[in-house]
Amino acid sequence: MPEIKAPSQEQRKKIKLGNTVILFIILVVLFALFSYVGRPFFLSVLNLVPMLNNLSFIGIVAAVLTMVMITGEIDFSIGGNIGLTAVLVAFLLDKGLPGGVVVILALCAGALMGAFNGFIVTMIGVNSMIATIGTMFVWRGIGYTLSNGESMLAMNPVIDYIGRGFLFKVIPFPIVIFIVIFAITYVVMNLSKWGRRIYAVGTNPMASYLSGINVKKIKFINFLFSGITASLGGLILTSLSAVGMPQHGQGLELVVISSIVLGGTALSGGRGEILGTLAGTLILGILYNFLTIMNVYYYYVQIVQGAILVLVVSTYEIRQSRAVKRA
Amino acid sequence: MSDNNGIILKMENITKTFPGVVALDDVSMDLYKGEVLGILGENGAGKSTLIKILAGNYIKDSGSIFVDGKKFEISSPSEAMASGIRVIYQELNTLINLTVTENIFVGEQLVKGPFKIVDWKAMNKRAVEILNELNVDIDPNAIIGNLSVSEKQVVEIAKAISKEAKILVMDEPTAALSEEETQSLFKIINTLKSKGVSIIYISHRLKEIFEITDRVVVLRDGKKVGLRKTTETDASELVNLMVGRDIREMYPKRELVIGKVVMEVKNLTAEGFSGISLTLKKGEILGIFGLLGSGRTSLVKALFGANKIKSGEILVNNKKVEIKSPGIARDEKIGLVPLDRKVEGLALSMGVKENITLANIEGLGNGFLIKKQLENKKAQNWVNEMGIKTPSINQEVNSLSGGNQQKVVIAKWLESGSEIIILNEPTRGIDVGSKIEIYKLMQNLCEKGSSIIMISSELPEILSIADRILVMSKGKLTAQYLRTEATEEKLLQSACI
Repeated sequence: MPEIKAPSQEQRKKIKLGNTVILFIILVVLFALFSYVGRPFFLSVLNLVPMLNNLSFIGIVAAVLTMVMITGEIDFSIGGNIGLTAVLVAFLLDKGLPGGVVVILALCAGALMGAFNGFIVTMIGVNSMIATIGTMFVWRGIGYTLSNGESMLAMNPVIDYIGRGFLFKVIPFPIVIFIVIFAITYVVMNLSKWGRRIYAVGTNPMASYLSGINVKKIKFINFLFSGITASLGGLILTSLSAVGMPQHGQGLELVVISSIVLGGTALSGGRGEILGTLAGTLILGILYNFLTIMNVYYYYVQIVQGAILVLVVSTYEIRQSRAVKRA
Repeated sequence: MSDNNGIILKMENITKTFPGVVALDDVSMDLYKGEVLGILGENGAGKSTLIKILAGNYIKDSGSIFVDGKKFEISSPSEAMASGIRVIYQELNTLINLTVTENIFVGEQLVKGPFKIVDWKAMNKRAVEILNELNVDIDPNAIIGNLSVSEKQVVEIAKAISKEAKILVMDEPTAALSEEETQSLFKIINTLKSKGVSIIYISHRLKEIFEITDRVVVLRDGKKVGLRKTTETDASELVNLMVGRDIREMYPKRELVIGKVVMEVKNLTAEGFSGISLTLKKGEILGIFGLLGSGRTSLVKALFGANKIKSGEILVNNKKVEIKSPGIARDEKIGLVPLDRKVEGLALSMGVKENITLANIEGLGNGFLIKKQLENKKAQNWVNEMGIKTPSINQEVNSLSGGNQQKVVIAKWLESGSEIIILNEPTRGIDVGSKIEIYKLMQNLCEKGSSIIMISSELPEILSIADRILVMSKGKLTAQYLRTEATEEKLLQSACI
């Protein structure tokens, strides 16, 4: 039958690989450019460490959200989750709980929030965009209620270490978490059975279900982990700022989703790469940092970030349709 | 040129080929004004291709089409419309959230005034006129989604004649209709006929062909093999033409080696069917025949855990099992080759390899990780053993032919160790050569001790392949035949109860 030829798996791999490689080239070029134009401050430890710390919580949330998005779902509640976690951490510390216990409780709260999203989406069948926009407001609203809308100090040796500690006295701890999370998600998505199921579910949920894959379970667990990593992000942010405030993570969902989409993940599911998300996060991160230290007016920063996102995703589409034509 | 003996549509030497298949081979036919011309043929005979060429969805490779003596290329749907040809497809194209009137005038609303405001009044009036012309009682303001299938079909017909159709092509119009609804459709067809509309009526139901057509063309393997006046032919002649002498050779014969019962279904009821009992023996091919809406797909989905069982029980190897999900079915060594392989069977943009191992991801290694070499080896084995034609195991399944895609779906279940394989219309949309390969494959499986349940609506196929045939109608089992005692007439009769 006359059908439009879709790119073959190998061609697609080339495109995917090509996209990721191009992203890393863009990253290196930008980094070199910024180092030169922004010399000497951009390359200084004084700039790079805070920049990477800030990127770390965006990155870990993005890595796990990439998995959610490859199954064809989305989680908008991550920003609200971070806000609530921040307040919760400060609140529990204020009640005199030890730091370690607070960390565990915060992660449990994240798991609960993720499980709730997963339940609404997989068991009740609410569209995940709607469900998680809803819970985004609910989580943040609970944060405001709990804190009375005020910022609370969150100082504790354990909490401090998460955002401001150094492993072996040199590597900032948030960056350690960042690397660990990316390594885990990379292995899961590229080498594991679980990752294969995620890609299968995203590519064709019906065929996956009719091949005996428990589609709901996979989506549920992804939401669960998305909740946990968002709370982990909340812990880092709280530690970095030493305060728990309900506004923490406001608007973060869009930054995270932009990074993921920039990295080549399709909103429709089935397509995406952890390395792409890594590159996307770093590109948007250093761009934001550079423009800020160059004292570019914040409004312009937004224009540039948005324009880059649209530009890059447009080139994906063009490359994809060219590859189809060549086939 | 318009006299030409009342010929409204003339097709001359139409040929259409697809890679590997000649779908239409030098087919010519005439359609007279006010005539109902039946086109009869098995699935894959070229009926759909012919329709799609008339509708402008496919472009013919060669040949000419004349409407009212004027030559039309028909290279697009709009050109087909302009020539006065209207096609009513099996899958109705109604927009279910709109009203009857809106559907009739979709795309070509009547407008008034300089600003081209939609003229609802005129449209409603015209809709009533058209529906009256057809002698049907449908409220023009009714929402399509609330109408029955036959009423939707009438709306499609109304839509077609609202645009001055000279030629109406109807593709299996009664596939989803009851006997009564069929009769009222025939009344409408007669009304149209009396108004000078010519109709091409496509069906594989002989009874209807005799009831409604004036002449009948028989297609087989893309060729026109006969043209008869309906009054001057009979069923057996048409069947012979349709099926051809060599048909039985298409289906490999085999010795029956049937063993113990591997699956027993007792009084099973679920959405779409009720009170079904059946047994499946080792090495057997059990056929299930039924028309659209008979509940056959619901039944196999229930056996596979994808349709919730309300009552009754299933025993696999004499052990009662609760098949609550396809995952459990797989663990019980049951596999389903679904009706629509592209939607339900394959992850199209993934590779042959990933699709073959899709139902057995757990078997790709002992721990958490996939052993890539193991997976490659498994996939390559199935590709070799089943003769799946693909450049490599990494090729995206989307680019494979229908027959090879179907083999990938079957390989998926063999890889997961299935011993009971349920196939729903296994050769749908597959060319003749691949069909034979699929049949041979099924027989090989049975010889190796698997058991097969095959749903098919192709009579010659089910009559030749199945060892035993169950017939379903309206959600019930209505008959059971051994291959030796089954005939087309018996099956059709039991299916229409």
